[in-house]
Amino acid sequence: MGKILIVDDTLFMRTLLKNILFSGGHTIAGEAADGDDAIEKYRELKPDIVTMDVVMPKMNGIDALKGIKALDPNARVIMCTAVGQEQMVKLAIKSGARGYIVKPFQAPKVLDEIKNILES
Amino acid sequence: MVEIPVKIERQGTWHGSKITVDKEQITIPPPYNLQIPYRQIIDLTERKNILTLTLKGPSETTLSLATVPKALLVLKKMIIISCSAYRLAAYFMSPAIRGGVMVTDAQWEKGSIAVLKTGIWFVGEEKQVSIPLNDVAGIELTKRDVQKKQVDVVKIDHLENTDVVTSFVLCPLSTLHVLFNFLKDATKDMDMRGDELDPVSAQVGMLIYSGMDSHAIETMLSVSNKELESIYDKLLKLGLIEVRYIRREVQLTPKGVRFITEAVKPPAE
Repeated sequence: MGKILIVDDTLFMRTLLKNILFSGGHTIAGEAADGDDAIEKYRELKPDIVTMDVVMPKMNGIDALKGIKALDPNARVIMCTAVGQEQMVKLAIKSGARGYIVKPFQAPKVLDEIKNILES
Repeated sequence: MVEIPVKIERQGTWHGSKITVDKEQITIPPPYNLQIPYRQIIDLTERKNILTLTLKGPSETTLSLATVPKALLVLKKMIIISCSAYRLAAYFMSPAIRGGVMVTDAQWEKGSIAVLKTGIWFVGEEKQVSIPLNDVAGIELTKRDVQKKQVDVVKIDHLENTDVVTSFVLCPLSTLHVLFNFLKDATKDMDMRGDELDPVSAQVGMLIYSGMDSHAIETMLSVSNKELESIYDKLLKLGLIEVRYIRREVQLTPKGVRFITEAVKPPAE
């Protein structure tokens, strides 16, 4: 089971992810609502995995991913975006993302993905 | 010519038999004594290990066959390649996304698509994928990177048991439009206006999509049991959910999946 940092600008999505991750037995290391906050929280909390929204105010998810990777090249970040923004996938993978989730998502599949990444 | 041991359904009971599959037809020995030329087959559906064939005739008849997965593959391939259907050569990727998670080793497969009465089939060298029209939750003409080029593809969201799966089809643009228009038309009953649901009901739909139960939904949205019941009633009336097991637990219908997928799309720029 992992310690997870949830990054999303909407409370609704953060709460939803928190519920899903709790149901899978994971702990929530913390939450961040923008890219700047995500980098700060990563430095402070050292989570096992980060779920990172792509579109956020201030600093977007791709830039936050790059910032986290600069802090810790082994950081495990799963990007999370709305349907129709799949063109961001390549950019995210190139920037070091370990997985990609498209909203809306189904809990069992998200938990499988988290498990795979934790075991990898 | 291949002999396949099967179970055949007739008048509600299953009987063991050994059918012969050749290039032109399927032969079923006595007591059935049937010869089914592939051209007579106008529809094919698959549920678990059961294939149901719809046969053309003065009145349409159906025949169900069950066999082991390996034999089923041979049988399906022969039927799909030769039955009465609209076919197009295409590349397909299925599944590309499952339950919202990108399938990292998803690849384009060369094959063909057969459009039958109640669904479409992708047929590749190794794989056959069936998408019943009733399970199509969304269709979109979109672009995707293929060998460093942006090309037009059809994106199909469909239900596979309880998983929401996204598949892509790639073929010449004119054929792509034919496929898109066909699917759009065949599933037009599922279209909904965005304003038919208030924001809280749409959020409830999104939580059902994600697999949350009634208790979790009440807690997350701070709604009472009674309020949630009335939202469920609204969603049931619109055909977006169906009751699962007991009154209080529900799941999205393909129409519901389509509505939620559309609702979370970012606004067009």
